[in-house]
Amino acid sequence: MAPMAIQSSVRRSGIFVPPTTTWHPSATLETLRKRSELVERVRRFFAERKVLEVDVPVLQGGANLDPGVHPFVVETNQGPHYLPTSPEHPLKRLVAAGYGPVWTLAPAFRADERGRRHAPEFRMLEWYRPGWDDWRLLREVLALFDVLTGWGITHDVLSYRTAFAKYVGIDPSTCPDAELEKLLGADASAARTPSGAFDHFAALDLLLTSKIEPHLGKGHWTVLVDYPVHVAAQARLRADEDDHPVAARFEIYREGIELANGYWELTDSGELAGRLETEQAKRAVMIPRDQRFEAAMAHGLPDCAGVAVGFDRLVMLALGLTEVSTTQAFAWGNE
Amino acid sequence: MGSINVGEVGKGTRLLFDNAPWLVLEVNFVKPGKGNAFYKIRVQNLISGNTLEKTLRGGEKCESADVADAAMTYSYKDGNGYVFMDQQTFESITVQPKIVGDSADFLLENMEVSVTLWNGEPIQIRLPNTVTMEIDYTEPAVKGDTQSRVMKPAKLKGTGAEVPVPIFCAIGERILINTQTREYAGRAK
Repeated sequence: MAPMAIQSSVRRSGIFVPPTTTWHPSATLETLRKRSELVERVRRFFAERKVLEVDVPVLQGGANLDPGVHPFVVETNQGPHYLPTSPEHPLKRLVAAGYGPVWTLAPAFRADERGRRHAPEFRMLEWYRPGWDDWRLLREVLALFDVLTGWGITHDVLSYRTAFAKYVGIDPSTCPDAELEKLLGADASAARTPSGAFDHFAALDLLLTSKIEPHLGKGHWTVLVDYPVHVAAQARLRADEDDHPVAARFEIYREGIELANGYWELTDSGELAGRLETEQAKRAVMIPRDQRFEAAMAHGLPDCAGVAVGFDRLVMLALGLTEVSTTQAFAWGNE
Repeated sequence: MGSINVGEVGKGTRLLFDNAPWLVLEVNFVKPGKGNAFYKIRVQNLISGNTLEKTLRGGEKCESADVADAAMTYSYKDGNGYVFMDQQTFESITVQPKIVGDSADFLLENMEVSVTLWNGEPIQIRLPNTVTMEIDYTEPAVKGDTQSRVMKPAKLKGTGAEVPVPIFCAIGERILINTQTREYAGRAK
């Protein structure tokens, strides 16, 4: 009989070894041309509004300590540095220095984030508006999104609690763990810590991503507001209509995809230090605080609102693509 | 065998849980802006073939299954099963008939196949996508009609399996079979 053609590769490891990658770009030329046009429109938008474009360092002396966000550490001969998880700290230092409204389209990095809509390296479009609150900034974000997509500014506003009531049927602030566990079914094991304890907040995150987010932003923008205090990050707190303390934070969704995260910024440096201390204590890996940033906050951040937009995701949606990797000239795995 | 971080799990990773080896078919990463990360994976049980969805938490440790594919040559069948020879080690290994399944229909002596081993035990065999077989018996050929889609049964030499072949095929002719679809795929050159 004739010899058989067969792949006789022997893999002795449980880890899949991907085929040798080529040198080709991850995005098509057409995508990169359209992406470049979108960047041009962003530039015009902010130039017309007299917001100053700035470049900020990629090697930062301290790290941002947002819940669930992990930086890459870079060893330098001046000690460890951190790739920015967002350009938030240097931009706020500029605002604290009195430089007025500033924006940047900067590289951002998040260790361990990898998926169709996540990349360890991406571009963050971030800006700050001294004297503004979150509601005023929200209108500006939607105006920019309309300029980039042509999809208008029609949106609905949903509080975190209302979203849970509407899509999960519970009040996230009072729901007992036993009920959360029942709602999660087979996924409940993913809400346990390595020691086996049920993690209430992880359970809420899992319900948010699996049962709520897919419904948000269908055919228009959905703005999720009034976040619980434990994910306030650097947003100030205020009372919601039922007099519960909530974070003055919003997220904008389209087609189930989270695109923007905005705050009416916390300016109380003492409260900020307390939050950072709490977050730092939770980390398995010691992340030092960003001393220069905290010194700027102690000097005084003017009343302001700020927002960060995942630019690659926005490009992905605007161009009708389904994976962020196809919007990047060279995506992770092809870097 | 080893413990790996869920972040290293990708399409093609073999995981061990519920006392079975599983092949990862798909990985989807989900995470709210500020909060916990999760991996939603779709896996296939390498023994039963069942698939299921599973959610793992970011940072979680998984057990990888000691699963490997080895190129082996089929030697012969005895009372215990099908005997293959590992092309690297030249060791013989017996694969039980229930694991070979209906792949036996196209398994000829000296054929090179891929055998999946879990902890050294065979759990799956994969034939080449296309194999060449000889027709042992079929109704007389209808000459001239080489375009016909009309089929007739043919018994294959060596295994006795029956497959539909076009009516122009004759006894003794060597034909190609697609082992995935179990269909005639053309005349052998």
